[in-house]
Amino acid sequence: MSKLRIALTKGRLENKTVELFEKMGLDCSAIRNKGRSLILHIPEPDIDVVLAKAADVITYVESGVCDMGVVGKDTIQECGSSFYEVLDLGFGRCKFALAVPAGSDFYGGYGTKCIATKYPKVARSYFESKGMDIDVVKIEGSVELAPLLGLADGIVDIVETGRTLKENGLEIAEYVSDISARLIVNVASLKLKKNDIENFVERIERCL
Amino acid sequence: MRRYDKITPDGAKDKLFEQCEVRREVLSALSLLFEGRAYREVITPGFEFYDVFDSSSNNYFPQENMYKLTDLKGRMLVARPDSTVPIARVVATRLRGHSLPIRLYYSQDVYRMVSGSNGRSGEIMQAGVELIGSSSAKSDLEVLSLAAEALKCCRIADFRIEIGHIGIYKYLINSLNCSDEQREAIRSCIESKNYAALGDLLKEFDSPAAKALGQLPRMFGGAEVFEEAAELFRDFEDGELDEILKYLEFVYSSLQRCGLESKLMVDFGLVNQADYYTGIIFHGYIKGAGEPVVSGGRYDGLIKDFGENLPATGFGINVDLITAALLQSGLYNAEKKKVLVFCEAEAVSSAFSYINALSQSGVAAEFCTFDTLEETESYAVSVGADKICVVTADDVRMITVGGKADE
Repeated sequence: MSKLRIALTKGRLENKTVELFEKMGLDCSAIRNKGRSLILHIPEPDIDVVLAKAADVITYVESGVCDMGVVGKDTIQECGSSFYEVLDLGFGRCKFALAVPAGSDFYGGYGTKCIATKYPKVARSYFESKGMDIDVVKIEGSVELAPLLGLADGIVDIVETGRTLKENGLEIAEYVSDISARLIVNVASLKLKKNDIENFVERIERCL
Repeated sequence: MRRYDKITPDGAKDKLFEQCEVRREVLSALSLLFEGRAYREVITPGFEFYDVFDSSSNNYFPQENMYKLTDLKGRMLVARPDSTVPIARVVATRLRGHSLPIRLYYSQDVYRMVSGSNGRSGEIMQAGVELIGSSSAKSDLEVLSLAAEALKCCRIADFRIEIGHIGIYKYLINSLNCSDEQREAIRSCIESKNYAALGDLLKEFDSPAAKALGQLPRMFGGAEVFEEAAELFRDFEDGELDEILKYLEFVYSSLQRCGLESKLMVDFGLVNQADYYTGIIFHGYIKGAGEPVVSGGRYDGLIKDFGENLPATGFGINVDLITAALLQSGLYNAEKKKVLVFCEAEAVSSAFSYINALSQSGVAAEFCTFDTLEETESYAVSVGADKICVVTADDVRMITVGGKADE
């Protein structure tokens, strides 16, 4: 078989993926003891594992330098364009939600509303689908701050338990979409290395 | 202050030396191939009226992906995002009444707006053919086999051609009672092989068509896929799917007999967005390119948009991707043989005639403009040349760099 290369999103998704791989019987000792290396090897099946930030996983898979990738649906919605999204891996579950200061009426009035978010594309296309003009402010850190400081009328962000929102006086106005980790595959790789990739995907499917 | 005078815009790239040479080799190999199959070249304008690309109902090219400009009358123009649509315009206008079929080829840049942060190019050299006025199976076979030949003539040995048929998806989606939004969502899930989301979308439709749509993206591979498809389409009794399936199978096996056994694949999940395709569609993949390098198919409705009802089929090759793959593969030998020619001031005319003779025999001869042989020698060292031709009024000497006369 030809060597496969898979990019994993560093951090929590990486740990979950490694657990999944071990359940499949793959030897992940190289990843467990990775030190500072960024490319690690799994001996059987012959796979190179690349550790990268979420958005970079998509870049590497889209360009074809990695055949596959594990990345959250949130990043796919924000940065994705052309690749195959073949599996919902089921872990890393959470939701995109619109949250607003508790008790406020986000849709009231005629003024253009302002949304603070780490995911401008997701926020824009959500309100675009509602045919509604909004201002989007990109925030890198704790998005909850923006409405508290009066910069924004609401936020579009990932919500797991909703506790952070509550503690900062925000509440969920509505859910935007569901999120979980996905297995993505480069378009050309799936065609050129069909058997190897399909076998691997089937092995994953059996352990989900 | 000139801020952008030393850089190129997002998506634009300078190409140097071997990038140009390999690209030219690819282009001339392709032109030779196409002309050898009786295709004739057309060049369409680099910019056209926006209306040419705006078939509002179809939206083949999203407006945000086109480079726009205006003419003196304020009319909207776009930099050509594609060559097939302008060629359809030419066929329906300038070539109206021409005897059929018409075989045309092109090699020209297309322009597509890119974000710039993903390293993609917004100016893409495409070469391709259009075979217009024939709806026969023979024309599909001609174009498909020509696509394979085109990759071979670019010295690409490891490639795959996958074929599909948009009619299957169109039939199934039309028999599903769904809104335009649902339709696009389903299509996009099939295209991206997003099995999970596709399953969810189709849950509410309890019909054989929904079941078949859910299976489409999984159905790709070799000839065995035809059996799966026959099984899956058994529930449809009006025969339309059967006919398409038989046709695909016929095309597949005919191409196999053309010596493409190991190169062929079939993918029932080929459903490009906003496509003008109506029948067979196909893609070509090569090692080292993360996206299809060939894209083509039958588009029987496009020329009708311009007023002539003509069937047509064709494909385009992304020459830049091929060039990059060839450069990466190391197949191309960048170092061309070069001879340095030096002469004293009074022997310039002899040197020029000597250089002419050399270059006619296929050797690149570089005329050294330095005043002295010493300067020429140190230049030779810096470019790694080991010999210099020294031309005098009545003879030519070859000296080895480092001093000793050779012959």
